[in-house]
Amino acid sequence: MLKNNNLICFNSFFFLFFFMLINFFFFVYFIMNGLSVFFEWEIISFNSMSIVMSILLDWMSLLFMMFVSLISSVVIFYSKSYMNSELNLNRFIILVLMFVFSMVLLIISPNLISILLGWDGLGLISYCLVIYYQNLKSYNAGMLTALSNRIGDVMILMVICWVMNYGSWNYIFYFDFMKNDYVMFIISFMIIIAAMTKSAQIPFSSWLPAAMAAPTPVSALVHSSTLVTAGVYLLIRFNYLLIDMFFFKVLLFLSILTMFMSGISANYEFDLKKIIALSTLSQLGLMMSILSLGFPDIAFFHLLTHAMFKALLFMCAGVIIHMMNDIQDVRYMGGLSLYIPLTSLCLNISNLSLCGIPFLSGFYSKDLILEMVSFNSFNLMVFILFYLSTGLTVFYTFRLIMYVMINDFNLMMIYNLYDEDYIMLNSMFVLLFMSLLSGSFLSWFIFSYPYMIYLPFNLKLMVIYVSILGSILGFMVSNMGIYSLNKLLLSYNLSSFLCLMWFMPNLSTYGLSYIYLNFSQILFKNIDMGWSEIYSGKGIFNILKNYSVFYNIYQMNNFKIYLFSFILWFMILFIFFFI
Amino acid sequence: MNNNSNKMFFLFILFFSTLISISSNSWFGCWIGLEINLLSFIPLISNSKNLLSVETSLKYFLTQSLASINFLFMILIKFSLLKNFNMNNIISIMMNSSLLMKMGSAPFHFWFPNIVEGLSWMNNFMLMTWQKISPMILLSYYFNKNFLIFMIITNLIIGSLGGLNQTSLRKLLAFSSINNLGWMIFSIMISENLWLFYFLIYSMMISMMISLFFLMNMYFMNQLFINNMNFFIKLNLLINFLSLGGLPPFMGFMPKWIIINFLLINKFYFLTFIFMMTSLIIIYYYIRIIYSSFMFNYFKMKWVNLLMKNNMSLINLSSFISISSMILSTFIFM
Repeated sequence: MLKNNNLICFNSFFFLFFFMLINFFFFVYFIMNGLSVFFEWEIISFNSMSIVMSILLDWMSLLFMMFVSLISSVVIFYSKSYMNSELNLNRFIILVLMFVFSMVLLIISPNLISILLGWDGLGLISYCLVIYYQNLKSYNAGMLTALSNRIGDVMILMVICWVMNYGSWNYIFYFDFMKNDYVMFIISFMIIIAAMTKSAQIPFSSWLPAAMAAPTPVSALVHSSTLVTAGVYLLIRFNYLLIDMFFFKVLLFLSILTMFMSGISANYEFDLKKIIALSTLSQLGLMMSILSLGFPDIAFFHLLTHAMFKALLFMCAGVIIHMMNDIQDVRYMGGLSLYIPLTSLCLNISNLSLCGIPFLSGFYSKDLILEMVSFNSFNLMVFILFYLSTGLTVFYTFRLIMYVMINDFNLMMIYNLYDEDYIMLNSMFVLLFMSLLSGSFLSWFIFSYPYMIYLPFNLKLMVIYVSILGSILGFMVSNMGIYSLNKLLLSYNLSSFLCLMWFMPNLSTYGLSYIYLNFSQILFKNIDMGWSEIYSGKGIFNILKNYSVFYNIYQMNNFKIYLFSFILWFMILFIFFFI
Repeated sequence: MNNNSNKMFFLFILFFSTLISISSNSWFGCWIGLEINLLSFIPLISNSKNLLSVETSLKYFLTQSLASINFLFMILIKFSLLKNFNMNNIISIMMNSSLLMKMGSAPFHFWFPNIVEGLSWMNNFMLMTWQKISPMILLSYYFNKNFLIFMIITNLIIGSLGGLNQTSLRKLLAFSSINNLGWMIFSIMISENLWLFYFLIYSMMISMMISLFFLMNMYFMNQLFINNMNFFIKLNLLINFLSLGGLPPFMGFMPKWIIINFLLINKFYFLTFIFMMTSLIIIYYYIRIIYSSFMFNYFKMKWVNLLMKNNMSLINLSSFISISSMILSTFIFM
């Protein structure tokens, strides 16, 4: 039953959908004709200073804007039913719209100041959205999110500082000219760190699973397709600059490890949204690693297709969570394919697309990535971790499918699972359509000629071997009984290392603040409440009070004594100065 | 025998005596003025129906006469040893000491809080303001700089430390008066104009405070807390106390500022330090009073009726003057 009768959801859905259609039209026109438009609006020009706002529209930004507006329009429509019992739905929708605005500003900006505006806006609004449910866990998650993103903001601010050496903040003009400059070296380092914080690569990856404390539409929009891909987008834009730099290799190393680590950790997780968050993290690592190997357009392709099916996956997870009476634990779910066929259809298709099953949308991008990795010569570790992570992806995907859809229903004896929420279903069908077709559609548009890949037979089938292995393992693991799962405690150190994301959340939160909080406690006890009280607070007051009490002894006397003291004083003065 | 006409008569003679004292040609005339001052003040403060005020007037008489005797004696020694300049130092010291005793300044101040405790508010006002004029001006005629600086330091310290332990409002104002005497003696050494300026502002502030306490009939600190006064009265109290302590936007900061300016230009650094630190202690115990009375909300006692409707304009005017006079005074010099 719909309690909120407001029109803001409908209006924003139509507006964003219309915006998407405009962007689609212009994208097709631009990419077919090879156009790229650069708008400049001079706000103030005064003597030699001018403030200019510039907008760059080429096919990449139009395509990304189309995808962002499509996903956000669908998510807003979805949240009309999901966030139905929310009292302040207007506030929520306005926050989502501001988020979309910041993202659009980030996408279309060719200069660093408007990138900073969009970047900071993204960080701030994602903080507001993560703490939307006001409880302690959301507060902690929001703090972790905001502070990790803040590091990226600081890095971009410093890049702005350094780019001022060149005279303008329009970075796209300087790529061809200043490649080997020392300043560009520093700028590239900072840009890479900024992108790493936003896209949650290895040192900063603890915020993404924690940010699942946000409402599910927010996760669908923010943590699957837009916020976390902002870092990848920034690196794609800066790609010409970064391609020869040393830190790109470091980025390769870290992103491959991210991919691997999150794949392992997702296998130990039992929270539905955390599994999906870790799979997002794994795919982000994949995007970053193929970008750092030198293929920005493939990374962009994977970014877009991943956005489609990951948003769909989050929305299905939202439907399931609603039906399970807000339980997110996967062990309580099961057999849902029998009860909610349409939702499980969407869930299945998005999961299989994530695995890279042929001719769904994820296949085009993922398979292309793996074939490029095999075709070009990279070192053994890159090769092994890529294929291993692909296998791990299939592993946790099939584990998830088994837990949620195939095993027995574990919640309660009496249950009411319904699939008739047509608002949510309609929004999921839009994404389902796109998730099926976007792979081929994008590959026809983006790549004007296909990549030439020539591989030996077994290497070509390596993907399939790894996927089958992963699926068998996923099937077996989900059938493990509780007594077998308990045997993991025998290797407690190893399993907690692998499960808890290689201890990075602990390092980011407790590890950083422990020393300082201890030290500040020592300082507070010893100085603030210790010595400085003696020497300036209560101590001086006691001294003065004692003096005053001592003086009072002289004051409270007989009158004769006063007169006598005067005479004594006169005599002292007389004698002292006379003799 | 407590008629207003009696008081008017003696008050007139009191004013006249100060004028005699400060405008006389010779030291003898000064002494005469001081004596008439003493003699005309005694009937003002003695009230034969109240034993405490009799005792107070007796104490006042004794100390002031001792000081006058000393003063007269030193004048005579000065006249008799006219050509002997070696004695200048000691004679100036003795004359300054006797004048300091007249005023109630530091080593000779023990009578001052005692007597102040025995007088009513209006008599206190006369004691703290008018009675200081002629000794100060006589001090400015013949002072010994080294001796006076030592006395100033003693004044400041005793004024600040003595007041920490007081709960009676009269004694509190007495110790703050001793402290301000230190500032005033130093301003005499700078220039007489500056002393006049400081003195006028000081007497204005003291008059505002004493009129407030007089109208509310308050003699002790706890009377400030028990009543739940009107907000404007509390505000006026706050502003006046802070102004008396010398806090910047208020009126009392201006003379202290000029004195500190002079001190720093002429490199009296240690003295500046003592001035500052004792001011801090004084402001501490002012704030201790007004913090409790201004910030907290006390119960309203129904048998104390504090209707101040007739006198609100005076209170508002005094608050306005205290706050704005520093800024408005800059317009005078534009």
